[in-house]
Amino acid sequence: MKMFRKQFGNLSRVSTHLSRNVLAARVAYRDVEMSTNAAPAEDVTSPPAVNEFRTGVTNPGDHSDVQVGKFYTIPLEEKKQIFSGGGLTKKYEQQIKTFTEACIMVRSPALELLHYIKNADLSKPVVRYVLYGDNGVGKTLSMAHVLHYGALNDFLLVHVPWAPNWMKRPKESANSATQEGFIDLPFDAAAWLIHFKTQNSKLLERLQLKTSKEYVWSKRESTPAGASLIELVEHGIARIKYASETTAALISELKQLATAGQCKIMVAIDGYNAFFHPVTRIFSDNKQRVTPDRITLTQPFLDITNYDWTNGVCILSVDKIAMTEGYMDSYLPRYLLGKEGFEHLDPFVPVHVGNYTEKEFVSYINYYLDRNWITKTQPGFEEQLKFMSNMNPYTLMQLVRSL
Amino acid sequence: MSLRVFGLNLLKNNRSLLQNALRNNGAPGAQVLAVAPYTTQVTVQATPAAVQKQKVSKAMKAYLERANEHDEFMKTQDLEFQIGKRHLANMMGADAETFTQEDINEAIAYLFPSGLFDKRARPAMRTPEEVFPARKAAEFDETGRPFHSMFYTGKPNFFQLLHDIVKETNYLYDLEERMLRRGNKPDENQKLETAGFQLLSKDQLERVLVEHIVDIEYQSFTNAMERLMSSPYSYKSKAFIERFLKPLIDQSKQLEVPKPKIDEQGRQYITTYECLRKTARADVTVRLPGTGKITINGQDITYFSMDECREQLLFPLSYSEMLGKVDVEANVEGGGPSGQAGAIRWGIAMSLRSFVDQEMIESMRLAGLLTRDYRRRERKKFGQEGARRKYTWKKR
Amino acid sequence: MAYVPATTLNILRFSKLSRLMSMYPSHFAEPNLNKITDRKSASHIPVKAATNDLSDSIFYGELKNKLIKYITKKGNRNLAKELLNETFETIKRTQIERLNLNKGDKTSVIINSEQLLINAIENSRPLLQLSAIKRGGVKYQVPVPVTEKKSYFLAMKWLLDAAREKDRKVHLPEKLAWEILDAACGQGRVVKKKDDLHRQCESNRAYAHYRWS
Repeated sequence: MKMFRKQFGNLSRVSTHLSRNVLAARVAYRDVEMSTNAAPAEDVTSPPAVNEFRTGVTNPGDHSDVQVGKFYTIPLEEKKQIFSGGGLTKKYEQQIKTFTEACIMVRSPALELLHYIKNADLSKPVVRYVLYGDNGVGKTLSMAHVLHYGALNDFLLVHVPWAPNWMKRPKESANSATQEGFIDLPFDAAAWLIHFKTQNSKLLERLQLKTSKEYVWSKRESTPAGASLIELVEHGIARIKYASETTAALISELKQLATAGQCKIMVAIDGYNAFFHPVTRIFSDNKQRVTPDRITLTQPFLDITNYDWTNGVCILSVDKIAMTEGYMDSYLPRYLLGKEGFEHLDPFVPVHVGNYTEKEFVSYINYYLDRNWITKTQPGFEEQLKFMSNMNPYTLMQLVRSL
Repeated sequence: MSLRVFGLNLLKNNRSLLQNALRNNGAPGAQVLAVAPYTTQVTVQATPAAVQKQKVSKAMKAYLERANEHDEFMKTQDLEFQIGKRHLANMMGADAETFTQEDINEAIAYLFPSGLFDKRARPAMRTPEEVFPARKAAEFDETGRPFHSMFYTGKPNFFQLLHDIVKETNYLYDLEERMLRRGNKPDENQKLETAGFQLLSKDQLERVLVEHIVDIEYQSFTNAMERLMSSPYSYKSKAFIERFLKPLIDQSKQLEVPKPKIDEQGRQYITTYECLRKTARADVTVRLPGTGKITINGQDITYFSMDECREQLLFPLSYSEMLGKVDVEANVEGGGPSGQAGAIRWGIAMSLRSFVDQEMIESMRLAGLLTRDYRRRERKKFGQEGARRKYTWKKR
Repeated sequence: MAYVPATTLNILRFSKLSRLMSMYPSHFAEPNLNKITDRKSASHIPVKAATNDLSDSIFYGELKNKLIKYITKKGNRNLAKELLNETFETIKRTQIERLNLNKGDKTSVIINSEQLLINAIENSRPLLQLSAIKRGGVKYQVPVPVTEKKSYFLAMKWLLDAAREKDRKVHLPEKLAWEILDAACGQGRVVKKKDDLHRQCESNRAYAHYRWS
């Protein structure tokens, strides 16, 4: 064992050395290129060299166990399409900006999910996958990886970047016009519709999906049956007052269309347990806390996570941070979802996201070194980082930032 | 029996005062200083004849009276002590002739059990020489004329000492110059070794001089001594210097390193109990062939959420280059996170001694890893805002 | 590093007068992390316990520690540490962006934020200071040399003051990061402050003799 460890240490050192050499080579290469006539802006976005912590396979559909622990680059356009309305954590967005490339590590939970999705029989009722794990282990990024797969494989994305935002910091709340005693979140609903549109506009245009019935919003406004879904979405965005209802209508339409086999849908909701957590920061007129089931926006998303439709997949994540103080004892789905939520989802496929493995950790360190993010490289710094971070991705990121 | 009596204004003892100083010092190095002839002996027996004939100064008369009285007093005290000792020996069923001071202490602790915290406040029985502090003998003759030229400075012994030091220093300077002129060099082999020694502390010096000195005077003593010792020929006045040096205990040999035990899996392990810091208490087990796993109260390092605490646990491991080579298990209770981390750090460092070489132990000691941190929170004082801070005071 | 901590000089010192209120006797030496020291002379000297901000890990820096102590308010060292970490992060981000603009020319841009902090402090250390001395009923501003320790203190204090005094709506780490970056290249308000002080000392040089007469 000791021998092995020793070798491993040597390997990692060699690998860092190699990566630095690679960088140097790249710089040299760039210089040559510059001296000819290449645009300097190009080489920043050009795909970086493939080495032991990078993989050239950019299609998440092709990822397999060979690529575990390696980074793949999301092309900027696709990143813009999928994640411009959220979906990556704030810190990770910052990192992407400084590193001038959107890289995500291929990790086993995402691969497991992809494997399930690829082999799923879509004609059967939808399968719910629940990502769970401790704080900062990479649930959101695993989901982002799968989302990328979905976007490339003609799935319509129904993606909620962070559901607790609606319960914890709503932009505006108003009483619902149609349902008595319910609360609307018009701005949040409109924001979500925009997010939906940016993610799916190309696909919607191609598929030419039509509404099945007429929606009457008010005396003068209505969406006729047979109108395209884009019109419906546009309406919701333009008339913010009706955004919540439009969302509900859109989602029920999508469900019907998917069941009819006209499209495939990938539902991805981060912080799903917020829909079942009774404590919110929305107050009704009589200063009472509103439970999530009295919010109009929750209804459609709970509806779409039911198993009464086909031709889709549901990827949900449960998170400790989606809860409020005093309810963060465990990260297991049963605790976080509560009885009600658990019964709503039952049966589901749990996918555990854990801390880095040894290989992933080394690869991450190498990536940081490659990006010049770690400047202190005394002997044994990897060991120290490992000890301090306990190989938790978020903790590692926090520790490394001041080095 | 001379049980401790406080606040008694006792008369002076004119007998061998230095012995007292010695006993209180207790250090073997102090034996050397016993030679210092700082107390002029005026034997009482010698004086009476002179007293009758010559004209005796008032001061001398008063002194003699006091000396006699004190002598009597000490005699009775000594007698009482002997009787008390005999009684005590009988009570304990021991032989009175061979009853030592240690036996006395034991007997007193047994017969008068005391819960008082301060050891000095507990009942004790010691020889009168120890209980009643030494005083100077007469410094003047029968006519009232002082023996010492610096009598009127109030601290003749101290200033005499300073003079002596300077005399030695000047002698060494002269020597150096002469040797330089002759082209000789100081003998490297005979160089004065001061590494394991320390100058007498202020109260020790006071006991030697039988005089009270103030801080600034003590400082001038240390400065003068340091100048003397820095001379290349300081070995020439070795005897003089050594009178004021006290050997230090070799710290590196202070603590015995325990032998590791073997557990069921055949791994070596050491458990350190009672690792204390602030109000935290921990016991730490370190196992040698390990993978760097750490367990604190059944949890991994996430037990500490603060980076600083984790860094503390990392410190002894990375410093001794044992990170990733040992497993650590710790149970800790009481105190806050930083206290707990400190307690575990000490435990890890102490346990690691069994697995590293002597040189590394010494390095760890110098890094302050093996010292128990005794500092505690300082109490708030009344009339003050906190431990030190005073309330804002306004004249009106 | 030009900053010489007191700890390295402290070993082997004969007992001087003890500091008031200290838990340790006066002959206890400060902990010393250097592994190569004069063993023979040190073996007899008891050492104080390492404080809980001391460490030999990559996260530790002597000057960094000092700065954390100056940032701290009301004993909340954790927050101060967090702020400094964030400062370093901001510095590193801007430097890496600069590096990207420079097309990866590593020699021209320093990324190590701790090195930048050290440079900034070295650049803003004053040599002289004005102190008011009363002679004949008149107060004179007399230039007086600053000790090394005090000069470090002043440099750090000025950096912090400059950062704290800026726009209140911006987070401290960001402001501090800009001050450090400015000072590291010898510009900015702190370096200007130092230069002003030096200029004043220069103009008051006629009073210099009041220091001793």
